[in-house]
Amino acid sequence: MKKLTAAALACTMAVSLVACSSAPKETKAPETTAAPAETKAPETTAAPTEAAKAAVELEVVTTFAGNDQNSQNYKDAYKAWEEKTGNTVVDMSATSDETFKTRVITDFETNSEPDVLFFFNGADANPFIEAGKVMSIDDIRAEYPEYAGNMDDGRIAPSLVDGKKYAVPVNGFWEAMFVNTAILEEAGVEMPGPDYTWDAFKADCQKIKDAGYTPIAAALGNIPHYWWEFCIFNHTGPEKHLNVPETADDELGQAWVDGINDIKELYELGYFPENTLSALDEETFNMFMEGKAAFLIDGSWKVGGIVAACQTDAEDPSTLDAEKLADYDVTYVPGSDVRKASDLVGGLSMGYYITKKAWDDPAKREAAVDFVTHMTSDEVVPVFAQHTASALKNSPKVDESVFNELQVKSMAMMAGCTSLTGAVQDIFNGDCRVSTFDGMGDIVSGDVDAADAVAEGLEIYHNQ
Amino acid sequence: MKKKKISIGMIFVYLLLIFWAMTTIYPLLWVFQNSFKAKNKILENSFALPTGALFTTANYRKAFRDLNIFRAYKNSLFISTMVCIIVIILAGLASFALVRYSFKLKGLLQTIVIAGMMFPVFATIIPVHRMEVLWGLANTGSWLKSMLSVILPQVAGNLSFAIVVLSGYIKGLPIELEESAFLEGCTPFQIFTKIVVPLTKPSFATVTIFSFLWSYNDLFTQMFFLRREEFKGITTLLNNITSREGTDYGLMAAAVTLVVIPMVIVYIFLQKYIIKGMTAGAVKG
Amino acid sequence: MSANIYKNKKPLFFFLFPAFFFIGLFLYYPFFQNIINSFQHIKVLGSGGNGWNEPWYENYVKLFTDPVVRISLINTLKMILVTIFGQVGIALFLALLVDNIPWGGSLFRTVYFFPIVISATALGLLFNLVFLYDKGMINQILEMFGRTELIDWKGKGLALFTMMLPVMWQYVGFYFVIIITGLNNISGELYEVASIDGATKLQRVRYITLPLVRNVVCTCVVLAVTGALKVFDLPWTMFPKGIPTKSTFLTGTYMYYQTMEAKNIDYGSTLALMIVILGVVLSKVVNMVFHEKEY
Repeated sequence: MKKLTAAALACTMAVSLVACSSAPKETKAPETTAAPAETKAPETTAAPTEAAKAAVELEVVTTFAGNDQNSQNYKDAYKAWEEKTGNTVVDMSATSDETFKTRVITDFETNSEPDVLFFFNGADANPFIEAGKVMSIDDIRAEYPEYAGNMDDGRIAPSLVDGKKYAVPVNGFWEAMFVNTAILEEAGVEMPGPDYTWDAFKADCQKIKDAGYTPIAAALGNIPHYWWEFCIFNHTGPEKHLNVPETADDELGQAWVDGINDIKELYELGYFPENTLSALDEETFNMFMEGKAAFLIDGSWKVGGIVAACQTDAEDPSTLDAEKLADYDVTYVPGSDVRKASDLVGGLSMGYYITKKAWDDPAKREAAVDFVTHMTSDEVVPVFAQHTASALKNSPKVDESVFNELQVKSMAMMAGCTSLTGAVQDIFNGDCRVSTFDGMGDIVSGDVDAADAVAEGLEIYHNQ
Repeated sequence: MKKKKISIGMIFVYLLLIFWAMTTIYPLLWVFQNSFKAKNKILENSFALPTGALFTTANYRKAFRDLNIFRAYKNSLFISTMVCIIVIILAGLASFALVRYSFKLKGLLQTIVIAGMMFPVFATIIPVHRMEVLWGLANTGSWLKSMLSVILPQVAGNLSFAIVVLSGYIKGLPIELEESAFLEGCTPFQIFTKIVVPLTKPSFATVTIFSFLWSYNDLFTQMFFLRREEFKGITTLLNNITSREGTDYGLMAAAVTLVVIPMVIVYIFLQKYIIKGMTAGAVKG
Repeated sequence: MSANIYKNKKPLFFFLFPAFFFIGLFLYYPFFQNIINSFQHIKVLGSGGNGWNEPWYENYVKLFTDPVVRISLINTLKMILVTIFGQVGIALFLALLVDNIPWGGSLFRTVYFFPIVISATALGLLFNLVFLYDKGMINQILEMFGRTELIDWKGKGLALFTMMLPVMWQYVGFYFVIIITGLNNISGELYEVASIDGATKLQRVRYITLPLVRNVVCTCVVLAVTGALKVFDLPWTMFPKGIPTKSTFLTGTYMYYQTMEAKNIDYGSTLALMIVILGVVLSKVVNMVFHEKEY
């Protein structure tokens, strides 16, 4: 049996290699843009097994590359799929950065997009959704009713363009407050819980400051994103948080101004590091890890960062300094009257898209659907998601023994989470952000009025 | 020139030169020593030697385990070698003509060259990419085509610089040699190959080095055009080391070391062409 | 004099066409698109524009009213002075010294080249650690000398200094290599004739070397000026987004910021055009100042 698959694999590899070097894509559907969405290739549904047997080469672009925590999981998962189906995955993944995003957008513009894409579902996806170059989940279900059937549709984010759902999510994220408990103990501060209020938070910060520590690890001049999001969230609440205000003067606009002024107040009270305006994010994170700063708001990906920072060999979990890690905990960001502390920012901001190009290609349609189904199955998703959110209907049983202490604490924290709201900064995206993000330094130091900065950003946003 | 009189002035000169050399050697050493430390140790102990508990080869193990380094070297060397060969030929021809001939459009062409040096890659890359997709060059599964898709824009990007620098050198050549060659019946092309090129060999070597260096280090173009793992160059491959959980500084230091080594070898190799004396024989003309 | 040899213009096409064909196709054609972009409304790099700006010259008005453009121009002007006097000056000085020492020349040539080989990201990290606020190398050294207060090298007062020093240092090696190559082009015979005539070393430098490398130094100054206008990688790694409070932007970093961070692609294109024009104008000025001699 094994020999057989190996032989089959070798054959398909040889075939695909030949295809690589000699014939540049002659099996393409001629006009991907012109072909109407309704043209269905009848033979794929009629004889799916037949089609699956002919080995397909699938071009896949994801962000599971380089140092991404899931890059190895991704490789394992698609290798397993290759083994199972005899198809080949041409992996063109890259680390997610601005160059990567530009590359993806340009590929769609030049009709050289991949077959399957793992990408953001927020504003970043707008250009190719507007151009109709990816298939919505509903359109796919019209033919493959089981597609993404294991997902809770309510948790799949709709496109900002037309409200349809396109991307099948895998692993999500949350943002919360990491705590250095050793400092809290030293300063005589209780570990905060789900009822943490803004005033209690400020009182705690003062105690920590008096004990000679920096209360908050944040580089406001570099990465003000997390504080921006939560402080505004504290004034908008989960219901309205994802709405962008019309003007800075209306109720919601005022909420934004108040939120930003909260950051200013913390800055004036001296709760941020002295060099918060000139420091880089990794510097302040390092303060947190060296036991000099007590609180850090960051995303779920930082769990891995903190754990790695507690290992002598970042690649080798057996070198973990458990004692150091025990000093770290994660809790809710202090809340307000409209937002409970346990209302968190988070969600599923990325997912698998099937491009129209692959869908219109009779040779690839089946394989693309099968690939995404495999990569988003009940077995694969938990491996990627771990302690973060997923959209699975049946949340899988997790075996806690394989997780480290901070991951366990994270799961406990998430268990008490009362709501998960997306980040409004993913909608309020692009140059409208400049005045309040990169202008944060000017705002907190009093050179620019928060209301003016918000007004400026909103004007740019609404003029788009 | 075989006087060996070490004066106080000379000692002072050497002290100055050694001082500057220390500032240039130390960073390389620093990178090298940090490539043997775990990522979380670097921010705290970046200036300490990697001994005892600080020492680890994990970064190199990771680099060699996850990545096919040698294939990436091969791709990188191919791209950069092609780029500098084409650049040196085209730029040599063009700068010779721009310096020696006087013609109506000369001023304009010189301005075009200078301006060409200023174009940022991210302003030009997208139209170039579209063009290459149209030609069927970019985004294909063919190795040679993918290499070409990077080589061509890189050649254009390095030409301006090469022309500016080579022109500066050729301008300094005494024209008398060329005149005597002309009287002996050489065509302009022969003058170029027999007189100008041999006389300015060091300059050509220098421009080669810089074209090689910039092609080799040009991440943006490579990241844009080389998608498949098997086409990636060393710089691109090793650039994928940042993630949302923070940059892995240890791996980065290892990556820089791995990237720098071939570059230094190429430089030392080409240096012998820059050194005085190699050209002395050719001057006779 | 040269008129005789190079009177026949026929070979010109052969010499010039290949290079300018490349430049035209891969630089100018895309850059004209970039100019068109500067009049359009573009939000995502790589996508087409969503129509023309309203009014179409909006970005150019912004160029003159944007206070950050002013800051970045002033900073760049300072950077130009630093590059001319710091980079080219030091490089020329070192090159003259290395050219006149009896041994060790090739060693210095090799090690002075090192800084250009290391990627800007790595150098940025190195200098970030050197100038780090808490536990940085310099602050630690100062502490040893009894200083109790930490110095924020990246804070408002010192930021520009902290940014320009590494940039200056990094490119000395680059100009050094270019100049020393120019020195090597000078034939040894000239020096020998001069020493027979009884010229001292200093006189040789003053009357033979300097005039002959004049063209090369002029090239270096042009490169330094244009380089200062477009430099972005090292400053960006150390001072992303012009921290603190946008006070350290250079024209190059500001253009990068508008294009890649703020997603104001059309404005980024406008800034790119501004940089190109400034580069051309300034290099003309440099050429005028040096008033190149034709041989």
